[in-house]
Parts: sequence; structure tokens; C-alpha cells
Amino acid sequence: MSKHRIKSVALEDDYADDYYEDDEDQSGYVEEDGMTAEDQERLRVATVQARNTLGQGFTSITDKEIQDALWHYYYDISKSVSYLKNKHTPSQSKQDKTRPAKTGSQLAVHHQAVKEPNIHHLLPSTAKDFFWDSPWLNIPFHRQAEIRIEPVFPRLGLLGGSSTGEGKMSKIAALAAKRRLKEKENEKQRGAATHTSGLPEDTASGLSKLRIATSHTLYPHKEHPLRSRHDLQSASRIDQTQETPPKGDALPPSRQQGKDKRTEDNHQLNGSQSGANVADMRAKPSMFARTLMISCDTALPLSSRPPTLLPEPVISSFDFLKPSPDDIVLKAQNFKGSKTSTSSKQQKPAKAKESITNSMENLSVVEPETIKSKNLDVLAEYKKVERKNAANFVVIGHVDSGKSTLMGRLLFDLKAIDERTMQNYKEEAEKMGRGSFAFAWVLDQGTEERARGVTIDIATHKFQTERTSFTILDAPGHRDFVPNMIGGASQADFAVLVIDASPSAFEAGLRGQTKEHALLVRSMGLAKIVVAVNKMDRTDWSKERFQDIKQQMLAFLTTAGFKSENISFVPCSGLQGDNILTRSRAPQAAWYNGPTLVEELDTPEPVNHALEKPLRMTLDDTFHDSVQNPFSVSGRIEAGSLQVGDQIVVMPSGIKAFIRSIRVDDEPSDWAVAGQNVILSLSITEADFDQINIGNMLCNPAFPVENVSSFTAKVLAFDHLMPMPLDVHKGRLHIPGRISRLAAVLNKVDDSVVKKKPQVVHPGSIARIVVELDEPAPIEAGRIILRANGETVAAGHLE
Amino acid sequence: MADKRRINGPASGTAIPIFTPSKSGAHTLQRTRKPNQLRKIYLQPGVVPTASGSAYLELESLCHPSSLLNAVPSSLKLSCVIHGPKPLPRNANFSSNLQLTINVKFAPFATRQRRGYIRDVTERDIGTHVETALCGVIVRDRWPKSAIDIIITILEAEDDVQWGSGTQQQNTVGGLGNMNVVSGCITVASAALMDAKIDCLDLITGGVAAVVPKDDGKFVHHLDPSVIEEPFLNSACVVGYMPARDEVTLVWTRGNIPSYSDGQTCRFDSLLDSAVNAAKGAHVILRQVATELAQAESTKLIIDESKT
Ligand SMILES: Nc1nc2c(ncn2[C@@H]2O[C@H](COP(=O)(O)OP(=O)(O)OP(=O)(O)O)[C@@H](O)[C@H]2O)c(=O)[nH]1
Ligand SMILES: [Mg+2]
Repeated sequence: MSKHRIKSVALEDDYADDYYEDDEDQSGYVEEDGMTAEDQERLRVATVQARNTLGQGFTSITDKEIQDALWHYYYDISKSVSYLKNKHTPSQSKQDKTRPAKTGSQLAVHHQAVKEPNIHHLLPSTAKDFFWDSPWLNIPFHRQAEIRIEPVFPRLGLLGGSSTGEGKMSKIAALAAKRRLKEKENEKQRGAATHTSGLPEDTASGLSKLRIATSHTLYPHKEHPLRSRHDLQSASRIDQTQETPPKGDALPPSRQQGKDKRTEDNHQLNGSQSGANVADMRAKPSMFARTLMISCDTALPLSSRPPTLLPEPVISSFDFLKPSPDDIVLKAQNFKGSKTSTSSKQQKPAKAKESITNSMENLSVVEPETIKSKNLDVLAEYKKVERKNAANFVVIGHVDSGKSTLMGRLLFDLKAIDERTMQNYKEEAEKMGRGSFAFAWVLDQGTEERARGVTIDIATHKFQTERTSFTILDAPGHRDFVPNMIGGASQADFAVLVIDASPSAFEAGLRGQTKEHALLVRSMGLAKIVVAVNKMDRTDWSKERFQDIKQQMLAFLTTAGFKSENISFVPCSGLQGDNILTRSRAPQAAWYNGPTLVEELDTPEPVNHALEKPLRMTLDDTFHDSVQNPFSVSGRIEAGSLQVGDQIVVMPSGIKAFIRSIRVDDEPSDWAVAGQNVILSLSITEADFDQINIGNMLCNPAFPVENVSSFTAKVLAFDHLMPMPLDVHKGRLHIPGRISRLAAVLNKVDDSVVKKKPQVVHPGSIARIVVELDEPAPIEAGRIILRANGETVAAGHLE
Repeated sequence: MADKRRINGPASGTAIPIFTPSKSGAHTLQRTRKPNQLRKIYLQPGVVPTASGSAYLELESLCHPSSLLNAVPSSLKLSCVIHGPKPLPRNANFSSNLQLTINVKFAPFATRQRRGYIRDVTERDIGTHVETALCGVIVRDRWPKSAIDIIITILEAEDDVQWGSGTQQQNTVGGLGNMNVVSGCITVASAALMDAKIDCLDLITGGVAAVVPKDDGKFVHHLDPSVIEEPFLNSACVVGYMPARDEVTLVWTRGNIPSYSDGQTCRFDSLLDSAVNAAKGAHVILRQVATELAQAESTKLIIDESKT
């Protein structure tokens, strides 16, 4: 390795090579160096003559410029004069002289006139200078061409001021001239955006665009790329005197006498100056930079050629929302398979081929759906089956009251979780230093939930008792996740309120989410509540503590609107499993001889669901199921029934779809009714996938939910209400909106109007308010919850 | 058995080049620029298409016509790449502001004294300076929970030591090379931010100025001093400056402010002003680059529109 590095360092400087090249340059250029005394005298005389010919109007032209022109035209005074006149119309010249040019183009012209000669005159002092414009492996055209010794045809010069075309060009020269003109034209167009030249002839400005910055010091490598070509061209002087410069070309002469007459740059790169002399402050890229940008034509303005370090990536990344090639193929195979198997079994082989081609033609990403409906009478089917009661309950309570632990324990005791899994959880939880959360892991499946020991989203789990099949909805207790808790509670038939009985925890809970959750479930219409007084082991099964909590909660819950016969209390310990499935064996707990938690849950209470009403189902989740069922939704049917092949409409987007398959409680089924938790696979096009979201409403297309943008509701205020922005929650759905009007404060008993148009509604009072939604949403009669700034401010129902 | 894994040297062997110290003394260049004249700047945004923003900056090389290979002074060459704004990793703490990570690294070959591959103290120090300058200009609360990485590679830097002089350092103030690097880093990062279209309060640029003693005992302020041209200087100052708001986000000064023989002191304020002027000069270029970039974008837009 080290060997390599040392080597490359040595190569960097390339001493030997450079010296060698140096010698070559010297010999090649020696003839051009210096100027004989004779020449100088001749030049002086000619300058005087030229100035006389030019007359008064052109006093602004410097001697140097005249000499430039003369040198170029080999002392032909008339030609030089006409060139200079062409270039400096009197008014123009003045501006040129006194002020640094306004535009980039003018500026560049000026500089060329002043500086080209010395650039040419200076010998490249190093090999590096000689090769300054020839990047590695990318020798520009103008440098390559000049290696030829004998010009084959009369050279075409870009120089000169003759405005009339004299003499004849060869065909090739004419072609070349044409191409050049075209290039210039392009150049002009490219530069057009910045270009506001006042020059009568724009050719010059077009050409000057080739150059962003002019050199102001004597470094030969700062010269124009095109320039060097002309310099070399003019090495054979005879050619040049004979050639005919193309019409309208205003490039200045490229030769001048040999003295270094470099004038100071007019345009100071003064830090505090700005504007006009920007071009002067900008350097041209060094050879390194040009190599880096892979653009040999660096003189182009930046805007016209975005340089790149790396080539543009050719491969465009795959959009994973689209079906993958595999998906398409599989789909096509399925489609073909089903088609041939159902329709063409008896067909002759000859026709079979045709049918395949037909089906290939029909093939598309969106396959036409034809799902056979069995046209069942779902309600009759439903009544036929003898089934257990089904009930969903939501587990609520303050954060860390032990909800997840209690439910995990319950599931474990009921053998809904097998020993092995539980053992795994225990070991892993131990490893993470959270041994006490092992039971909570049954429901807290998310990595983040497990890492933090906090439930974040609703977790569902099923279990069966002898009489009932339950679905647990384990709600998060943390105040930040109340919206998730609302979503869970909206699917529940009753609630289990878990209370942390340990010292001071109960009191903290009562101020926090114990209170908020209880009020929320009540305002969502849940009537039955089971209060599990948890962590009794922490209080050493103190009967006093239990009674104290029971009394306080009873008072609170009855004021919240629960009927006292629907409230029950169970002291228990989720961690140790007392009074959950089996009675506590702890001697301190002997005083309790009421029902255990499971017994309390299992008190039969058949729930009546609105089976006859039109279909309503709020989407709990949407997901990609499998290749066959690319789009599935889950949720609980709130009202009505459905069966495979039914058409449904999803609000608010109004997308229609057919039901491909139904799974009720993870068992395939042909139908489902209100109260059941289902997974539906829908047949919709991929384009519509992202139009269907969590919280949307699935409806019967005959009776869809209206999208409303404003509604009137009767609410119980938990906080001061005034016209203000808030979030409207309805089950899983939550939409931003605002209270637009407070209509009235109502009497709690008979709903009579107490006060019309109140300024503010005080906590605890009932009011009729008008809510406007930021965007229309499918909301119809039912319970709503209003939250603002992360707190529940009101709950009620639509009127 | 031939060892195929390494490239073996030539069988015959070569002579080791031996470098003798130059007898011609230090290679210094006379400053031919006016005191208030900056070196020319070449600035090119958008050099790395795969990054969200990038720019390349280099300063004109101060090549002496008679200079031979061994004493070609280095000029500044910087490239800056910006990645982001991108979301913070999931396990990161919540941040209501855009998180800025600045990584300044000398390429190993950037200076005559070879640099290591791991960031050293100087590089981290320069990084902190640049970060200070940029924190003040980026509107950071526009991107909560996100981060950008600004990676600046110094491809070529001025040596703090004048090469070829037997003595180590004539400069009375060290670190002028690093100051130039800081100033360049600020300007190139600003161009890259512009290319990445990240909201900034202004186009910030860096500028350096130095107090240089003259023969007659007076002092002049040189804008954009380069190490090779300034064998003696009293103090130097680098600023990060926002012209539109007339605000300075970074000041770093070294050396001491001299007093004139006539008792009148050369004030720090004026040095700071000179540095600000240098920054204004760079800003002129940055602004023009911005205009060109905008024009290129708009023409691209027009082309795109006409295509559709
Ligand atoms: N001593 C004792 N600790 C318990 C009991 N039940 C739960 N815990 C502990 O309380 C802590 C919180 O338990 P979780 O089940 O995560 O509480 P949670 O109510 O689900 O919390 P969130 O879901 O975040 O609201 C854990 O450390 C449990 O071990 C119990 O009966 N006795
Ligand atoms: Mg939990």
C-alpha cells in the first residue's frame, strides 16, 4: 500500500516530463519573440498616419489599439482604420473608454482589445502553462488541429474588419465559415437572457459570451481558448494576408508589437464595489476544475451548460407503490388460470389457443372484476347460527396503571397465550431490563412500545369464555395518545377502567386520564363499566384503600352519567394474577369474596346491533394482504351487513369497490353483520389505493354517508368553549375544524334553552354548537368528541 | 513465486531523488494586486448531481511567470456537498430546528504537509467556525425533526508555511491559510445551500483582511491576503457576513493591532470593516452565480413546459 502512495506523490510533479516539454516550447516559439528595431520604427510611423486618417471623432482610441490593428493588418493603414472605425463609432468609444462596460459582452470586447497581444507575446514558461487548456484525455479541438503542418486550404480567419467579402473561399472554407456562424448564432441565443448589448453588431457580443472573465495579469494560461488557435494559425503570415475574413466579424486584431505594454486593468476588483465589474472578479476555472466538470468548453456561460462531476444516473429507481414485475406476472397467471379453468374446459384445443391470446389481450394491471355474489339473506343466515355472545371491551385508565399487564395476565390465565410464548416474552423482557413488563408484551407488540414500556396504539386480542367471545381493545393511557384511545373506545361495547391503587397513584390518575377516559367512554355511549382496582399487592390488599377508591370513583362515575347498577368494582393484581381468573390466595385479600374480573366481564348482556340499518363501517386499518388480495381493510361493522360480491362505496372519496372476500375473526366467511370485527379484501384499482385511508367510512352505495362540512351538535363541555379551532373525533376518524358558533346553552334536564348565543360555554354545561370542518367528512348522527391542544374539551352527539 | 498482490518495483532499481534545500531563499511573491483587490474567484454550484446541493470554489492561482515547478504557490480549492434536509433517524431526540452537521476535511494531498485520513484538530476547529457562521444564516425552524449534512472537502489549501524558505514561519501571525480556508468554506457552503434550495436569511460570504506593515512604518489593510504574498503581517481577521442584513455571524481575529509611530492606533473596527468589504466582494460573485443559476432553472422550466 505505502508503495503506491509514494509513487503517486512522485508522479504528481512530473519533473522530468515537464522539463522536456519546456525545451520543446522554447524552440517552437523563439522566432516570434521580440521585434526588430526596424519593425518598431515602421509601426510608429504607421500609427501617426492612422491617427491622422481617423480624424477628430476617434481621439479616444489609444495608440495601443491602433498599433494592435496595424500589426494585425501588416501596416495596411486603410484596413486598420476601417476596422477601428467599425469598432469605435464615436459615441461608443467614449463609453468604452471612460466607464467599465456595462454589460458582460462589452466588457469582454474591451479586454480582448487590450490584452491579447501580450498574451501572445509571453512565452509559456512552463510545460504546465503550455498545456493549460488541454485537460487530460480531453484535448480540445482547437489544440488538436494545429498539429498539422501544411494547411491544405486557404485558412479561414475570424479576424479582420473588412466589411465586404473579397476574394473567394474554398468550398470547405465556406462550409466551415457557415458552421462557425451557426455556432455563433447558437451562442447568441444561449446568451440572450443576460445579453443587453448596445453594440450595433451583436456578433461581437455573441463571441464575447465565450468568455466569462478576462485575465488581468500576465499569466498566459488565462487566455481565450479560441485565441490560441488564431495565434497558431497566424504563424504562417502569408496565409493570413491573403485570407478573407468573414463578414461582420468584429474581433480585434490578435497581434501586436512585442513590448509588454500591459495596461493596468481598469476594473478594480474592489471589495466594496459591485455590479458592473463582476465579470472581472470571477476567475476562469483552472485546469483542475475543468477536468472536474468534464466540460472542455469552459468558456460557455454557466447557465448554458450545467457541468457535472458524475454522469446522470441512467437507472431510475423503482416506484414501490406500483406493482412489481413479479406482481404483474403472478396476477396475469392467476387471471389466465382462472379464466381457462372456468370458461374453456370443454373447448377444443384449437380454440383454447385463441382463448389464451384473447385473455392476453384483456390482460392489464387492472383486471376487470367479476365477483359472484351468492345473494344470501345475511340476516337469516345470522339467525340460523347458534353462537356465543360477542363483546368488545376497551381497557382504559391512566398511564402505567397496569392495563396491558392486567390483560396480558388475563389472556395467559385463560390459555389464550401458550406457556412457551410467555416464557419467551419473560426472557426477552428480562434482557431489556424490563422484566415487570413481560405480561404487557402480550399486547404491546411494537418495538417502540416495548422499549418504552408504554402502549401507543390500540391492541386487540381475542379470548373466549364459556358464554362469550371477547375482543380486548387495550387502549394507551398516555395523554398524547388519547386519539387512539377514542378510536378503540368507539368500537367497544363496554369499558374496563383500570385504576392504580398504590399510594398517590390513584389520586394522580383521577386528575389525569382516569377522569378523561371515563368521561370519554361515557360520552361515546358506553353504559357498562368495570372498575379494576389494580396493584392491590402494593397496598398490601388494604380493604380501606379499596373502599376509599370505590367510594370516590362511584361518586365520580355517577356524576359522569353512569348508572350505579352498571358500575362494578374488582380489587386485583395484574402482576400476580389475583382475582382475575381465580380468587386471590393471599391471606390479606380474604376479605374480598365478590366475583373475579372474568366473572364480572362475563355477566351476560346481549348487545343489540343495528343489523337492519344500511351498512356502516369505519376503517380501522388498510393494508396490503397478499398478491391475490392487494388491498384489504379492517374494522368493526357498526351497522348493517355485507357479503362477498357486494358493492360498497368508501366515503369521503366516493370510490366504489366490490368485496372479494371476508374474514370474520380470522375465519373466512361469506358474510358479516354489525358488531363483528372483519377484514375485507376489496377490488379496487391501484390508483385508488391511497385514496382510501384509516377513518374512512364504508357504506352501502344506495345509502351513502353524506360528506358534511359543518354540523350542529349538542355537547357537554369539559372546558371553556368559545369559537376556536379544534379536532373533531368520531371513532377512528379525526378531522381539524373549528367552532364557528355557540348557539345556546341548554338545561341539563329537559334541553330547554337557558341562554342564547353565549359568549363562552363554561365547563360542565351542555350547549348546542355549530362546528365547521376544514374539509368535508363522512359524519352522520352519532357521538363525537372535540379536542383542542391535546385535551378533550367537549363530547356529545350530532343533531 | 511472484507476489501478485502488489506491484513490484522495476527489477533494475532506480536512483532515489534527493532534494536539497533551495538556496535562493524564500519564494515570496510581490503582491501585485491593489490592497483592496481580491483574488479572482471561480464558483460553480451543482457539481454533484446526486447531492441535494453542491458547489465548487477555487481562487485564482498566483503563479509567478518565472516560477518553476517547485515553487508554484497553492491556491484554494474547495468542494462542498449538502445532503438533506432529511428526516432525523427515528431514535433521535425530537428537535424543532434543522440539525446542522458540518464536516470539513482536508484532502490528504491538500497541503504540502500531508494530511491524515482522520479529522484532526484543525479540521474540527475550522468546522466549528464554519458552523457558527452558517447557523446564523439558515432558517432552521423551517425544518423541524430534520437534518442536513454539509461536507466540505479542501482539495487544495494554502500552506501556512512559506515553502522553500529554510526558516519555518516568517509570518508573525500564523493561521492565515486556515483563515482563508474558513472564508472559502463559508462562501462555498453558501453557494451549495443555494443550490440545495435551503431557506437562508441571506447569501452569506466569507472575507479575510490583514493589517500589513509598510516600509514607511505605516500600515495598510490588505483584503484577501495570501500567505505567499504577505511575509509580514500584524493581524488578520476573517468574517462571515450577510450584506443584505449587514450582519456578521462569525469573527475570528489573530495577531495584534499595531500602533502607528505617531501614536495613532490602527483600530480593530477598521480591520473588521476591511474583512467585511472582502466578504462583500465575494458576495458580488455569489449573487451573480445565483442569478445565473436562477436563469438556468427558469430556462429548464420553460423547456420542460414546452415539452409537455
Ligand atoms: N406491583 C404491581 N405492579 C403492577 C401491577 N400491574 C402492573 N404493574 C406494573 O405497572 C407498570 C406498568 O404496566 P403497564 O401494563 O405497561 O401499564 P399500562 O396501563 O398498560 O400503561 P400504558 O399502556 O402505557 O398506559 C409495569 O411495570 C407493571 O409491572 C400490579 O398489579 N402490581
Ligand atoms: Mg399498556
